[in-house]
Amino acid sequence: MLCMSCALTAKSQLNKVEVKTNSLGNFELLRNGVPYYIKGAGAKDHFDLLVQSGANSIRVWSTNNKAFLDSAHQNGLTVTLGLYVRPERSGMDYNDEYAVKGQIEFLKNEVLKYKDHPALLVWGIGNEVDLRYSNFKVWETIEILAKFIKEVDPNHPTMTVIAGVDPAKAYYINKYCPSVDILGLNVYGSIENAGANLRKFNWDKPYIISEWGVNGPFEARTTSWKAKIEPPNGIKAEQRLRRYKELIEKDKERCLGSYCFLWGQKQESTATWHGMFLSNGNPTEAVDVMQFCWTGDWPQSRAPSIKDISLENISWRKDHILAPSSQATLKIDYQKYNNKKVIINYVLYPEAFSNKIGGDIQKSPEPLEFNIVSQSDNELTFVTPKEKGAYRIFAFVKNEKGQSSVANIPFLIQ
Amino acid sequence: MKLNTNIAFGILIICITSCGYMNKVSIYEPSTSISAFDKFPQKILFTSSDENGLWGIKNNNCKQVSFETKNSYIGRDHLHIKWDASQCNYIGIGLKWDNYKGKNLKPIIETAAIELRVRTDLGVLSNVPMFFILVDYGGKQCRANINFLELEDGKIDNNWRKIRIPLQSFNYQKRGVNMSNIKELRLEFQRSGDIHIDNIIIVSHEHNYTKTKDKFIKVFNSHPIQLGVGKEYWWGINTKYSSSIQFGNSFKNESVVINTDRTKDKPWDTFGFSPHQWMHVDISSIYRTSALKFKLKANELPKLQAILFAYTGNKRRLQKILDENHFIDNGSGIYEAYLPFKSLTGHDEFRWDDLKEIRFKIMDGTQFEIGDFQIIEFRGNPKKPTKWKRI
Repeated sequence: MLCMSCALTAKSQLNKVEVKTNSLGNFELLRNGVPYYIKGAGAKDHFDLLVQSGANSIRVWSTNNKAFLDSAHQNGLTVTLGLYVRPERSGMDYNDEYAVKGQIEFLKNEVLKYKDHPALLVWGIGNEVDLRYSNFKVWETIEILAKFIKEVDPNHPTMTVIAGVDPAKAYYINKYCPSVDILGLNVYGSIENAGANLRKFNWDKPYIISEWGVNGPFEARTTSWKAKIEPPNGIKAEQRLRRYKELIEKDKERCLGSYCFLWGQKQESTATWHGMFLSNGNPTEAVDVMQFCWTGDWPQSRAPSIKDISLENISWRKDHILAPSSQATLKIDYQKYNNKKVIINYVLYPEAFSNKIGGDIQKSPEPLEFNIVSQSDNELTFVTPKEKGAYRIFAFVKNEKGQSSVANIPFLIQ
Repeated sequence: MKLNTNIAFGILIICITSCGYMNKVSIYEPSTSISAFDKFPQKILFTSSDENGLWGIKNNNCKQVSFETKNSYIGRDHLHIKWDASQCNYIGIGLKWDNYKGKNLKPIIETAAIELRVRTDLGVLSNVPMFFILVDYGGKQCRANINFLELEDGKIDNNWRKIRIPLQSFNYQKRGVNMSNIKELRLEFQRSGDIHIDNIIIVSHEHNYTKTKDKFIKVFNSHPIQLGVGKEYWWGINTKYSSSIQFGNSFKNESVVINTDRTKDKPWDTFGFSPHQWMHVDISSIYRTSALKFKLKANELPKLQAILFAYTGNKRRLQKILDENHFIDNGSGIYEAYLPFKSLTGHDEFRWDDLKEIRFKIMDGTQFEIGDFQIIEFRGNPKKPTKWKRI
């Protein structure tokens, strides 16, 4: 009975979230009057491990699944809730009054539905509406929604999320969106100068790093046949750690926290680029890194870490062109950490070329069968496919708990 | 008095008798003209499966289509579709709509809508990932989606809710669809869902929305063009964080004073501005005969890199390091600089109809003022900009 009453209280508890300036002149988020630094992830599942790793918040991109909010709340996580404002690149025409008004009314309705949810932390109005856009009228829609939120929900700040910052975007948001409290930045390679650039581009409000991680496929070097070159997990883990410690955590004046990308798995050029989990649900070493970032402690059981991978003794950074039906040797260099035993396996895929951008949905290819000639702790000799074309071979190393590290090399058969 | 009474009586008699000669005329005459909507003969797309043909109703892993007789809105049965697009590229069904006869929607395009009834078995939705596609006999397609404004009570639940798709909301102009010869209507489904659909018909509908014009485009067709007017269109100047770059006042228009501290790790050494209010600036008609001109006040010429950015295009950046050939010494430490656009490598690939920003990076030199930026007419040799006699 007591538990039921607690649950009801929790459900009906309304949390007031505000952006304030503290005595040092730094911006901070206050939740029910208490400073709240966002240690977050773009996440839709694995909430238990997220909490265990020291996170306090998740970011979701739309209101199409209330279960995320409920589940986050049950796990003690807050939510930056996205209002999905259709980007121009999806066919939305911001000169079409009918489409614009319809979208606004729909999203106002969504605001009214969710504004009192106890997990709600910040409204994220639009995600990367600026990516390859040409009609700046979209900022009028963002402002109408932000202003509406101010009227009906004074308890939660408003944020709009952009794909990297530039002076034109900063100008338009400053001018057209006075009701936006926080700028959300999705920054991968461009995180290196994001804080400094915001100051140069006259953004004088706070910001949240709303997506960050390793350099994205769109920033990666490509092979001569246009396959993206993905660094091994070990290198990506080091990049994550440095970016959190040296860029995000250090900007005490303006940065209200961050959401790492992606606490889950998705196909974006490869199945392993941004995801911190594999498609089978196993966590990668990126999860360990985030625990260290959020808590200062590494987990007791750490994932192994692949530091290097090569094919035919040529580094992953280079092009690999092989003959059909020939033998080739893949080598990996990994660190076991405190694992007594690790399990290694290799999977071959056709290359998944895609022209999708901005996190738009991409389909994963199916694995291919291939013949293994020999396999040792760190070496695989295999027979290359007989069909000409672009392929990618993956190496997975995991410990007995399934904590994993992955690396891959694209290659061309010709 | 008696005379007056007689006159009044006389008038009354005349009035009464004359009424017999009047024809009956109703106040509101029925109109003899029939509206284009009334004339349109093919108003029914689907009311029941035995009367209206559909295709694409074979079940597969991604969709289950059935015609249910229970709880229909109209007719003998209605359409029930469950779908999950995670395993399929396309999920759709087609309505043969008067057995594929060509439909001329042009006369009713502004006054009609497709109306349908939709319900769920359980739960409330405010959006369905469902699209409406009109296909003409040339195979061209235009599409529209469900707009919240035309969703009855803003929700789809277990009551039959009315949805309207105004014909005006189809992107037929953009797609070049021949609306006078429409073959069929397709319904396309994305993500996943489970809905009942009935009574798809054409109804009279007023669509009171227009398309506004692009307001963020500025076209320049003549010289000179004053650039970067208004401090709010500049960046790289924020005295809270750096005094290296500040606004100056030595010139007629906007200028900045540079006082770079090169001892710092990351000195503030870059500034930029929009040519015109961060709009899409179009100088495509004049760029070939144009040069960037600006003034400089310095004891010694600094080393500058000028960078032009476009909003779109494969080549979005043009750059040039300026040398003494770009400057004319006017004496007293005042210089004029000329940078012909045709001298920039790759200028042919640059979107001059979508100019975004002009940026300067200070590569060397610590103290100077730069400003009064203009685009001027330039017809000289781009390689020897200051040798042209007209400047």
